[in-house]
Amino acid sequence: MKKFLNILKYSGLAFAMVVGMAACDKTLEEPQRVGYSPANVDDKAGSWKTYLLTSSEEINVPTPTSVTSPEYVAELAALKGLSNTLTKEQQEAVVYWGAGAVYRWNEIARELAARYNIPPASNADGKYPVPDAANPLADPKFPFATPPYTARALAYLSVAQYDALVSAWNYKYKYKRAAPSKVDATLRVALPVSALPSYPSEDAVVAAASVTILKAMFPGEVPYLEAKMKEHLDARQWAGMNVQSDLTAGTALGGAVAAKVMGRARTDGMSAANNQALTAGMIEAAKSRGIKEPWLSQEVPIRPPMLPNYGAVQTWNFDKATLAQIRPAIPYVVGSAEWQKDFDELSKINKSQTREQARIANYWADGAGSYTPPGHWHRAAANAAHEARFSEVRMARTLALLGTAEMDAGIACWDAKFYYYTPRPQQFGLKTSVGLPNFPSYTSGHSTFSAAAATVLGYIFPEQAEKFKAQADEASVSRIYGLIHFRVDCEMGLKHGNVIGTYAIARGKADGSGL
Amino acid sequence: MKKRTLLNVLLAATLTTLWSGELRAQMPNDAIYMPKGTVCIGTMYTHSSWNQYWENTLKRENLNIGTHTTQSVMVMPAIGITDRFNVILSLPYVWTKTSAGNLMGQKGIQDLGAWLKVKAVDVKGFSINGLAGLMIPLGNYVPDFLPMSIGLQCRVVSGRILANYTHPKTGIYVTAHGTYMWRSNINVDRDAYQADDRVYNTNEVKVPNAYDMGARIGILKQKWQTEIWAERNSCVNGDNIRRNDMPFPTNNMQATMVGWYGKFQPKALGVNARVGYVTNGLNMGQSTSYMVGVLYQFGVKKS
Repeated sequence: MKKFLNILKYSGLAFAMVVGMAACDKTLEEPQRVGYSPANVDDKAGSWKTYLLTSSEEINVPTPTSVTSPEYVAELAALKGLSNTLTKEQQEAVVYWGAGAVYRWNEIARELAARYNIPPASNADGKYPVPDAANPLADPKFPFATPPYTARALAYLSVAQYDALVSAWNYKYKYKRAAPSKVDATLRVALPVSALPSYPSEDAVVAAASVTILKAMFPGEVPYLEAKMKEHLDARQWAGMNVQSDLTAGTALGGAVAAKVMGRARTDGMSAANNQALTAGMIEAAKSRGIKEPWLSQEVPIRPPMLPNYGAVQTWNFDKATLAQIRPAIPYVVGSAEWQKDFDELSKINKSQTREQARIANYWADGAGSYTPPGHWHRAAANAAHEARFSEVRMARTLALLGTAEMDAGIACWDAKFYYYTPRPQQFGLKTSVGLPNFPSYTSGHSTFSAAAATVLGYIFPEQAEKFKAQADEASVSRIYGLIHFRVDCEMGLKHGNVIGTYAIARGKADGSGL
Repeated sequence: MKKRTLLNVLLAATLTTLWSGELRAQMPNDAIYMPKGTVCIGTMYTHSSWNQYWENTLKRENLNIGTHTTQSVMVMPAIGITDRFNVILSLPYVWTKTSAGNLMGQKGIQDLGAWLKVKAVDVKGFSINGLAGLMIPLGNYVPDFLPMSIGLQCRVVSGRILANYTHPKTGIYVTAHGTYMWRSNINVDRDAYQADDRVYNTNEVKVPNAYDMGARIGILKQKWQTEIWAERNSCVNGDNIRRNDMPFPTNNMQATMVGWYGKFQPKALGVNARVGYVTNGLNMGQSTSYMVGVLYQFGVKKS
């Protein structure tokens, strides 16, 4: 017996140590995306309708040197030298960027949004300092990448990528310079080579366009973005995919297109979106519309609402008259029987939230420190487009249609929020399991963003439409489960978002892509 | 069966001072053993609260939290398999709340703990003890709604060395221990999150391993015990809470605590109590905690 006990205790100790070592494996498994040859190179994309360029030739790209010219031969020799043997780091960079230029820059933008998505802390005077674009790394950092801010940043990013790629496609098929490995079969390439002409480089176009937009949107990240761009361009040479003149021409084109796109961004009304002087008038106007108990910040100290005038920012796929026309009807007024019914539903969850309700609320929360709901849907779209092996230009079109719809959704939702100025459930004593957004309740931003996204993605990926709709519905109801929205906020937000999405679809159907 | 066999194994338990109030909820941190065939069941209530915390190194208050409180009731049987080999089990029910703000309190059964404790060396009042611990989350609670979550959902394997000298006549003792805790990755409800200044596109979260060190000095008599203690709990790495952000399970949480522990057990039935105070920390609340418990000891051995 004693011997048995000794064996038990020492083997128990030993076993625990072994399990300990095993538990020590902390490797995380993240989905890895790799390069592909596109299902369709979309050789006619040079004629697709651009958003802001007047034509795909508005920015001139000079005629490239012939592949038999001494200049090109020298470039090819240099490329061979760069791509012949790669270090492990170079190989990793090739694989990383090989997943797709639009794909990676969209991912980088989402990551920046997440990193900058933290509300400023109050100072000793009980005030909330406003982030300063001229001093972006001070506390609070600029920007506070809220859902409206992120929706807008991603919209401009995607539009710049799309317009620049349409222009690039035009020149690719105008000049028809073959890929380096088709000129010289002995060149070692590390990625799939399609039939797409290589001048100007689509990767350089996307990198330059993206960096131009993102530097403006995240001005504290200039060194980071420039390092990323350098690695991207280098990786194209390490992979044997582009000679230097492909990259140089692409960089110039992408930068010039994005500069034009930033011209719209600077005058779209965003600079006045945080005009807090307007809120007193908004509250009075909401009261005149029948709102009895306007929204009050539930934070201590009272925090000014997030971007009260974002609803006045310029939309993409419909005009301001339409914005007013599609604005959701007035919600149930506090104290009405319908309002009470919605409130009772929340009270019940407040007392006994189920684990499944908490899970759904958490999955879709996309709150502080995340890339926000527009980022969530960009990720879904980029992944779907990657799985469908979209060409760069088709992926950019997908994200531009989505991105403009998301920004329109943000604008239209914020317009409704500050038009009605309705209170959150927390104004009546409820708690939340996801954190309380600091702006009026009706309509739900998550519902509007998600329905708009699901509608657009259902058009682009019809076979997945049901799935996207179910996800949008779940994202919407997650805000009830998280206790920060009344049901009417969510249901009307879904309807509103769906209508907003149809305007992006109308644009997509008329853009000459035939898709 | 001498009562001094104690149970105080029960210890200083409940260092419910981490964000969630979980983690080392209890650790056998003495050199006392239940005699063979004897069981002592402790039932302890712990109350831990803070109104300031370290956001990275910045010590701050949060007006949207006010005072954060974690409470728990824990059942903890210590079982004497032999006079030099004990098994200690623990299972807490934990609940959290804040005095301000809108965050919903969380509650539920937390993690089942088990310690194997072996007296390896025992010479003239001096002993060296080896302990192996295992924590398994039993409740399906949300681990990343910090600071409201009641635990981190980690499986934890611990290895501890504990040295003690007890003066045989006076009962005066000193104890020191060191522990390493291997903590498993966890899964969260979302499929992307930010840590280490980047976005991870997965629902799996790396929780840093941790260690602790403790020193105690006290008097152990047949019917009572009193001691003062100091402990250092720390992750071995991890990231910091970002400016004005909420904590996350990847954070490098650290705390130095001091406190007092006492026990009075004239017969089979006894009581114990503990107070603790965090003097210094990182990515954690500066908590003050107290614990009170009831102890009941009985033999199970057939005579």
